Parts: sequence; structure tokens; C-alpha cells
Amino acid sequence: MQPQLKSRVHCADREVGEVSKIIMDPLSHEVSHLVVSMNGTGERQVPMGAVQMVAEGLIQLQSSSSEVQGFPLFKRDDYVTLHEVEIPGLERHLHVTPGEVLVPFPELERNVKRRTFFANLTYVVGLFIGLPLVFPVLKFLMKPMYAPLDNGWLKIGNIEKVKTDDVGVQFEYKRKVKEAYLPEAEIEKNVWLVRATPPVLEKVYQGKDMEFRDAAGKTIWTNKKDLPYLAFSGKCPHLGCAYKWRKHKVLGQVFLCPCHLSIYDASGQVLDGPAPRPLDLLPIQVSPNGDVRIIDMEFKAGTKSQTRIV
Amino acid sequence: MNHSPSARTEPTVAEKVFTFVDERVGLKLLAAKMLNEAVPGGSRWAYVFGSILLFIFIMQSITGVLLMFYYVPTADHAYASTQYILHDVDYGWFLLSYHFWGSSAMVVCVFAHMSQVFLWGAYKKPRELIWLVGLVLFGLVMAFGFTGYLLPWDQRAYWATTVGVEIVDKMPLLGDFIARFLKGGPTPGQMTLSRFFVIHVMVLPAALIALAGLHLFLFRCAGPAGPFRGTPTELKAKTDYFFPRQIWKDVVGMAVVFACTSALAFWEPVVLLEEATPDPGDYHPEPEWYFLFIFQHLRLRMFSGEFGQFLGSMAFPGALGIMLLLLPFFDRNPERNIFRRPFALIGWVVLTVSILLFTVSAIINREFLD
Repeated sequence: MQPQLKSRVHCADREVGEVSKIIMDPLSHEVSHLVVSMNGTGERQVPMGAVQMVAEGLIQLQSSSSEVQGFPLFKRDDYVTLHEVEIPGLERHLHVTPGEVLVPFPELERNVKRRTFFANLTYVVGLFIGLPLVFPVLKFLMKPMYAPLDNGWLKIGNIEKVKTDDVGVQFEYKRKVKEAYLPEAEIEKNVWLVRATPPVLEKVYQGKDMEFRDAAGKTIWTNKKDLPYLAFSGKCPHLGCAYKWRKHKVLGQVFLCPCHLSIYDASGQVLDGPAPRPLDLLPIQVSPNGDVRIIDMEFKAGTKSQTRIV
Repeated sequence: MNHSPSARTEPTVAEKVFTFVDERVGLKLLAAKMLNEAVPGGSRWAYVFGSILLFIFIMQSITGVLLMFYYVPTADHAYASTQYILHDVDYGWFLLSYHFWGSSAMVVCVFAHMSQVFLWGAYKKPRELIWLVGLVLFGLVMAFGFTGYLLPWDQRAYWATTVGVEIVDKMPLLGDFIARFLKGGPTPGQMTLSRFFVIHVMVLPAALIALAGLHLFLFRCAGPAGPFRGTPTELKAKTDYFFPRQIWKDVVGMAVVFACTSALAFWEPVVLLEEATPDPGDYHPEPEWYFLFIFQHLRLRMFSGEFGQFLGSMAFPGALGIMLLLLPFFDRNPERNIFRRPFALIGWVVLTVSILLFTVSAIINREFLD
């Protein structure tokens, strides 16, 4: 039991006064001292060690009244009240109020039934407001996420640019994009072309023509296995960076991605590095006058299989 | 007229105003409550990082709002408006560069703050919730860095975002949806810029303010942990209040951070690369330095192939995140002294050293590529 304010304080011989204040220890959150008002002759600070017994409205000290007179006088300036300082959790340890502090309970609140019902009703009303909004908000935000795929052919340059066999040549081209309400804009993109020798072609096509199909499974285009030109999407199939044709100390001339150091040979096969699949081949047409056309496709990076996203 | 000194008897206008407000809101009591927070074991220089982070956030908010006076978040104007801020607007170069270096300061101080809480064992009972909210705040800080990086719309911005979003795409089940949601389409473009902009200037600040408030509230509920050494008597003997000694140290810390950030902004102002386009030319894409270690570790052979990539970009970072979230719940040993917690110490050293090693090797790799 904690000592209470206003408790009478008894010494071994006689009563000496009443508890006027209580001092807490901020670390242990326990009562450390009592301040005893000595029947009008000042306040003295009594350590809890000197307390023999705490009862309802009564504190029994071990000391005699003359010993209590020897305890130090209470110095108010050495202390602050609980309201002026923040000691987390101290209030929860404190039971020194002399009694309950009360305010009247309003008449209208006295016989209200179904309090839980009303509390839950607020949640239900909240749900009625919130739930119908979920779908519209989601659709609102998702509007541009799934653009239809474009299978149009795009002229990217002339094949005369390719001078050597089995060497990557970058074709930079502009592509018109129309995003939402914005005016049509041009973005720069690039693909890599390789004029492949038969062994490289064999590595790529393995004796079979390559078919490109749309989502419904309809064939869009077939790359013939004997056309010696390969067009690779400029996007690295590892994490979507842009790779380059570079000289490697050990592997010779290769496609190398500077981001995570994936390395591919002229046929697009992975030689080294973290890439999960070969470079992505695109549908290609070379007209008799040397114009190169491609279908600009992009595939999801980082997967073993191809998933077309553009 | 009586012109004798009247300060004691007649309050000045300022005092009257103060008294007026104090009567209505209890200003003195509020100030006392805010400032008289007992710091067990006394104030220390080690405790400055929380306040410094708040200071950095306030500075980022101010510089960020100022930048928005000129910045336009559209694909055809973002680059030009950023160049305009850098080259034409008076002190624009400084405010933009301060904002840029401020993000680095934030990351450095977040790391210091978290390390300290970890090493001091201050996440333990009863402070588990502070730690949890702190981890979410850490995620918000990284998200701030990632979304803000795109806004200048130069090549660096474009490619860091392209690769970053591809990493998000590797998340199981929801990856494709979240990546498309962030990009606002299959590839980065205007929709991406709009989304990153609104996330950077509205969503993240609102979330950060709310959670930082909660973080502080929870901190005040539990109180400071104090040092891990010392008997209660020793701690009590050294205990002081938040004001003035700790606040003094915090303010010095803030001044140091301000000086360093300003110096970096002054001597290393932001320089933009070419405008963003899906054709990087000679530029070698790279994220901001505090993401370099993730970038570099994805180059490891063990993270090659589809599964390896899942391990490197999702499973490992995810496992680390979950471990940190659960830390205060499985580490129930009340011992806070780091020298008696060998696993915690080794774990911290290994993580810090590997982050350093990966960052340094990413920087060394740069030269190898050129």
C-alpha cells in the first residue's frame, strides 16, 4: 500500500503531523520520501526507510518524535510537480490521491442502451463511404497502366551502315509516342543490328524460322532463318539497361551491359553475367533498297521467358 | 506621469500577449513538458541524430517547396525548368544543390541513428514500437531518394528509375502490377514523372510527418533508454533534462550538418546530364551513391538467372527487412550492452562492412567501364 496524502503520522511515542507531499523516485517510480507537516512547525522530509507501517490514513514511523525533528527540512525549490515534468509512466505508479475526484454523469447518458451498437454503427457508416470508392479510385489510378501493343513497322535506317559480319551496329531512331492528353512527342530509341554469318544464324534460329505471335496466338511476323540480319531490342534482358558493343579482354568483341555486367555474343547468347535469357530478337524486314524496318517490341526484363510489354 | 522603472509592475505588450495565450493554452506548462524531459545518465553527443533528422527534414521541406515555384513536372518541361533553376534563377543552383545533398545527409544520419539504436539495444522492451515505426520511416526516406531522383528528368534520373522499377517488378505476384502502377504504363514516361512527383511532394511528406509524429509520441511514452552501463544511482546522479544541455548539443549537431550540406552544395553543385531518353548514348547508368551497394550486389554471379535475380533483388533484402522488423520480438534478452551481445555486434559489423565493400567496388568498377 502506498502512503496517502493527509495521513496522520505517528512516531514511536506520539503523533507528529500529517503527510503533506509525496516525493517519487523518477527512475524506480516508487515513493522515496514523505513530506510531513509537523503540526504547523515546518515540513520535514522523511525517507521511506524510516516508515514502519502504512495503513489507511495512517503512517507509523520507527523513529521517535525527537529523531523526526532531526530529519532535514523540506526545500520546495528542489522539486517540481508532476505536471511540470515528463517522466514517462510515473503517473501509472502513483496512488497518492486522497480520494476520488468526481464529476456528475449527464442525465441523458444514464440509461443509454446499445452503446456497442452505436460504436459499431460508426464503422459501418465509414465502410459505406469508403468501400464504394475503392473501385473507382483504383480504376482512376490504373488508367494508363496497360497500353495496347503496337505492331506497326518502323523504319530505322539503311543496311549500308552495317559493314562487317558478326559485329553489333547500333541503329538509333525516333519513335512517336502519344501519352494520354499530351501532344505527340518523339523519343529516341535504339536497336542493335548484326549481319550474321551462317554459324551465328544457326545459333540463333537452330534451323527453324522464328515466329512472333500476339497475345491471341496469331502470327504477326516470321523471321526467316536464312535472312542474315538480326535486330536486337536495345533493352538488356537483365534489368532493362542499355547495353553496348564493346571489346572485352578475354571474350573479344561482345555486347556488354554496363549496369550489371551481363555479356552476350553476336548471336545474343549470354556469355557471362547475371542475365537470365539471351538478347531479345525483333521482327525485321530489309527491303531491296536496304531500308531496315522493325516492329518495336520491348520485353519484361529479368525473366527466363519473354513477356512482351511494348 | 510616473516614469520610474515599471517593468515589475506593468507588463510589456509582449508579456501581455504571452500571458493571454498562456491563460488559454497553458503555454508554460506545455513548454515545461516539452523541455523538461529527463535524460537518464545525462545528455550526450551520441543522442543528437534524432533531432538532426528532424532538422534535415524541415530543411528539405523548405528547399523542396521553393524548388516547386519553378519546377514543372512534365516530360517536356521538367528538364528545362530544372536547368532554369540551376542557371537562371538567383541562388537556384544553391537551393537545388542543398536539396540534393540534403538527401545524402538524411541517409547518412538515418544510418547513424539506426545503428545507434541497434548497438545500444534501445529497440528492446518497452521500445519495440518506436523501432517498428522507425523502420517504416527509414523506408520512407529511401522512397524519397528514389522518387526525387527522377524529377530532374536527365539521363541519370531516367536510367536509375528504369532499373529501380525493374527491381520492384521482381516482387512475386504483385511485382508486375506495382511496376506498371509506378510507371503509369509499360515504360517510363510522362505518367511516371507525374506519379513520382506526386508521391515525392505529397504522399511521402504526409506519411513522414504522421509517422515521425507517432515516432516521437511513442518515444515520449517510453522515455529515453539511456546508456547501457551504470547503476541506477549513477544514472540518477548524471540525469539532466532535455533542455538545456541536450538541446545545446542537438543545435550544434544541426549547425554542423547545415555547414557540411551547404559546403557540398557550394563546391559540388548539381550538374545535369543530357535530357532523359530511352537511348543513353555513352552514359553508364548508375543509381545514387546510397543505392550503389544494391546495384553492385546484383552484379554477383550468385544472383544470375531468373531465380538468382529474385534472390538478389527480393529475397535477400526482404529477409533482412523482416529480420529487422521482428528483431525486438525475438531478441527478448534484456541485456543492452553491445559487448555482451556478440551476435548483434557481428551482425552489424558484417552488414556495415558489406555495404561499404559493395559501394566501394561499384565505384572502382566505374573506371573499369570507361
